[in-house]
Amino acid sequence: MKVSLSWLQSYVDLTGVSADDISRAITFLGFEVEQVIRTGAPALNHVVVGHILTRDKHPNADKLSVCTVDVGSAHGGVRTIVCGAPNCDAGNRVPVALPGAVLPGDFVIKEAKVRGQPSSGMMCSAKELTIAEDSQGLLLLPGAPEVGTPINDVLPAGDTVFDIEITPNRPDALSHLGVARELAAWFKKDLAYPAVSFTPAAITSNPRADLLKSVRVEAATDCPLYTATVVTGVKVGPSPDWLANRLTAVGLRPINNVVDIGNYVMLEYGQPVHAFDARKLAGAEIVVRHANEGEKIATLDKKERTLSAGMLVIADALKPVVIAGIMGAENSGVSADTTDLVLEVAYFKRQSVRATSKRLGLASDSSYRYERGVDVHSLDEAAHRFIDLILAHAGGQVAGPIHRVGADIPWRREITVTPAYINERLGFEIPASEQRAALESLELAVVREEETENRGPAWTFSVPSWRDDLDRPIDLVEEVVRLYGAEKIPSSVVSAPGLVGNDDPIVLFNRAVSSALVGQGFNECVNYTLRPAKELAAWATPAAVAELALANPFVEDQSHLRNNLVSGLLESLKLNQARGVAASHLFETGRVFLERNGQLSECVAAAFVIAEEAGERSWRPREAADFYTAKRHTATIASFAGIELERQPTALVAATAPGWQEGHAATAGDIKHGWTSAFGLVSLAHLKALGITGKIYAGFFAIVSEKVTADADRRGYKPFGLQPAALRDLALIVPETATASEVQKALAKVARAAVGNAFGLESVNVFDVYQGKGLPEGTKSLAYSLVFRAADRTLTDDEVNAAFIKIQDDLVKATGYQIRK
Amino acid sequence: MQDQLSALLAKAAAEFPTVSMRPDFEAAKARFVGPNGELTALMKQMGSVPKEQKPVVGKLVNEAKSALQAHLDAALARIEAAELAAKLGPAVDPTLPSPDRPLGTLHPLSLVREEMTRILRKVGFTVVEGPEVETEYYCFDALNTPADHPARDAQDTFYLPESARFGNVSKKNHAEKYLLRTHTSSVQIRTMLKGEPPIRIVSPGRVYRRDTTDATHSANFHQLECLYVDKNVTVRDLKALLDYIFASLLGKETKTRFRPHYFGYTEPSFEVDLSATHLPKVNKPWIEIGGCGMVDPIVFKDVGYDPEVWSGYAFGMGLERLAMLLYGIDDIRYFYQNDARFLRQFA
Repeated sequence: MKVSLSWLQSYVDLTGVSADDISRAITFLGFEVEQVIRTGAPALNHVVVGHILTRDKHPNADKLSVCTVDVGSAHGGVRTIVCGAPNCDAGNRVPVALPGAVLPGDFVIKEAKVRGQPSSGMMCSAKELTIAEDSQGLLLLPGAPEVGTPINDVLPAGDTVFDIEITPNRPDALSHLGVARELAAWFKKDLAYPAVSFTPAAITSNPRADLLKSVRVEAATDCPLYTATVVTGVKVGPSPDWLANRLTAVGLRPINNVVDIGNYVMLEYGQPVHAFDARKLAGAEIVVRHANEGEKIATLDKKERTLSAGMLVIADALKPVVIAGIMGAENSGVSADTTDLVLEVAYFKRQSVRATSKRLGLASDSSYRYERGVDVHSLDEAAHRFIDLILAHAGGQVAGPIHRVGADIPWRREITVTPAYINERLGFEIPASEQRAALESLELAVVREEETENRGPAWTFSVPSWRDDLDRPIDLVEEVVRLYGAEKIPSSVVSAPGLVGNDDPIVLFNRAVSSALVGQGFNECVNYTLRPAKELAAWATPAAVAELALANPFVEDQSHLRNNLVSGLLESLKLNQARGVAASHLFETGRVFLERNGQLSECVAAAFVIAEEAGERSWRPREAADFYTAKRHTATIASFAGIELERQPTALVAATAPGWQEGHAATAGDIKHGWTSAFGLVSLAHLKALGITGKIYAGFFAIVSEKVTADADRRGYKPFGLQPAALRDLALIVPETATASEVQKALAKVARAAVGNAFGLESVNVFDVYQGKGLPEGTKSLAYSLVFRAADRTLTDDEVNAAFIKIQDDLVKATGYQIRK
Repeated sequence: MQDQLSALLAKAAAEFPTVSMRPDFEAAKARFVGPNGELTALMKQMGSVPKEQKPVVGKLVNEAKSALQAHLDAALARIEAAELAAKLGPAVDPTLPSPDRPLGTLHPLSLVREEMTRILRKVGFTVVEGPEVETEYYCFDALNTPADHPARDAQDTFYLPESARFGNVSKKNHAEKYLLRTHTSSVQIRTMLKGEPPIRIVSPGRVYRRDTTDATHSANFHQLECLYVDKNVTVRDLKALLDYIFASLLGKETKTRFRPHYFGYTEPSFEVDLSATHLPKVNKPWIEIGGCGMVDPIVFKDVGYDPEVWSGYAFGMGLERLAMLLYGIDDIRYFYQNDARFLRQFA
């Protein structure tokens, strides 16, 4: 909201207070100053009215003239001034900056020679005086002002306009009076309310039933109070300058005296008002009612709008004439030939105005104020001010009593507070007298003062009606600290009594994953959570993706919650590829949303990608990543959630996740049981569709957020044998469909049975995989190393060999695998 | 015999230094000390040496043997050294860059978040997490944001369809809708409902606004919020926290100031400005950095804390904004593009 300083000065005397200080005051009163705009001429010393006597062409320059200018005897009489403006014609009166003047922008005027011609001053344009953004030639001063007059006496006085943001709790400050009240309190000055002279008792003219015979409110809930005043015999014309200037200063275009006064009263009191041309009201009546579904109205912004049932309108006998509290219609507005007015000042419920404004997508200064809350208790005062100004500047007289429909809404609010309480909340001392003065300056009045047992006096304040936001003692703490100056709140040392819990397990998980992957050379990325459906379809069924849709996406490509983190990382890879930037190892941690047992679950997740052709060239290439690289990193991530991925059932990915390359990517875990993972090669077709070059290995791990738990129990120590181990290698020929883990399991089982209690099988590890020449069709060879150890002795070759032979025999019998010799 | 030995040694002294390959060495060795070697042959003649001469000749032979062994050892050492050198290749160029991957990097938002939580942990704040999908109650109602408040508009807040069901985001009321949290303050409510004061938490996390993406706006961004609830917590304590945080983060020359403001869930409420003209790209004396205030008694009542007993403060700020300030980043979108040149700057 824009407020004009000269306007504020009508209510509070701020003479001698700089604009900077006022701006600061507004800021520390709790309203952000977004901009300070100065209008009109600044204070200009040594700039006076000059009269151009002669104009001659400059002998040495085509575009310059040499003028003689009379600046008055007090300033040296007639001077010679070189000028480049096209309009420095003899006879014109113009601003002349004399030597010694400093124009805006620290432009110092001196005696000078211009192309060999002496010049004793400068004739000025409006732009040079910063009273216009742009100007053509010199500023011509109309009305032949006296030569030598200081220019500030001739130019209209400037104004300073503060563009301020009013917080939603302070609708009372959506007015010049409201802001003036705050400034008066801040600067400890008196607030002068406008002198309102109209009183209903003073009405002498008879009612004009031909203009307005009745006001009927059919929707009293949405319109608790409605007043309408008939004023006859007005003359519509331009507003007086002071009024037009004030409106212009705060960004409103003056239209005519009646409309301008309406706006003025709104900006003065914060109470929206409206003026009808009385003769345009069909049936001479006003009905405040809900619109009929489909009813149309052409609003003042020249748009036809279709109303819905439930929207509050002001109507005459035939048609709606105003969308209540929002905007009037062209059909009933004031025009140049209007002579009789109906002045509306009403109270509409904020919910009603807000709902209608929102549905129509139509907002106005009026609706903004109603939505935030208008003080119904100041309504009559604003109405009387409206009438005053109309009578004063548009003439006419009030015909008959004011139509007033609706009951008075009672207002009485008291808050009891002790200065001790306020100081306790603040944590520092503000003297009681200062507290009280602060609250009183905001027009809270002490209605009772009682002594408490041990907390000093207790004050009971009455709260003015426009401060609906003040309701509890704590609210007064804020008022006191506001006027005390929040800047002055003293500092101190943070007192931190021992109260340290553990960080959330999710935080610990993310930290551990991040530092592990950073240790492996990955760069952390951050991608958006909201993603397009088609992108997510690479990782889940269409039905599952549909569940992730937002009700009200803002843009199409951010319409769904993400179900994975790989998509985003691929997008990041693509961006780097497109920019020719080497990027091969990226990771991200964050939330994803997965379908689990028929509902969505918010999951904690981590993912990484490794790009083969990342444009990272090296003088000595290292081994390329493959499926097992992805598996290792995924296992690392899972380990921080307490999961040993290598011990979990792992299978090739299903076709329902087409983002993975069939046969080259696997999954472990199932979100049904709380966690899931997938890792391996990203589908080459998917990459091609995305426009990403090279093979990408990726891994993804997600766990339902509540299953991320703090550190596992501390593990116990397991003794380990100190005797030497006996090693045996065993190569098996197995069906090519057999997995390494099932063969290993079978082998370990047989081996354990074979050694029995005699000694121990310490480990079985696959160390070679072979398929091809020398092996029967449809088979492959897996070689395992077996480690045997006894806790109490060195094993003899004989006992190990015996066991090893038994293992081979038993395994062949049990599984049908062949021993590869 | 002595002459023969001398000749043999002279021959060895001439021959071994020239031997450079292991097979040549083995052949030469065989010629001297092999079964048919010259020294072997001479030693075989020992039997025919008269008994009285044996000690003398034996000594001579032994001396020759050691001398020969020295030649062999020297030659072998030289050959082994050469072989090792050949195996190792030429000396490395120590100035070539290592082809192995350097350490990765944390995202600047993570760095800022971790730094803030470290600073806060020192004064007793514990990091908590909460769901990003929230309900109207936790995001708005419990924070004194009534149903008709503009912040709740579908214009500003992302909602999930009425049919959406979340297994692990609890609702307070059956009828409320799921939404994407617009601030991390919802975590305050969940924390307070779960436990008893005193509470001292910091909740960093992702939040969502239905907004056009531009240099300063993003559909999701990150906040960090502190909540402290205890007996006799004051405005001055709040100021002390802010002073502490920013002096720790930006240096002792950093100042903070409060400006009164309005938030539905704190009273009194303030905006926090920062004076940090020593930072890059800071050209204003005061920069707005966050909002704070004393927890409104309404909020306490709603979570079942007695506002007569408990008081507290809350402070919240945007992490992107802070990171932009700290690093002098001028476009919020850079955080979400993940250009590797950007990511690698903040290790």
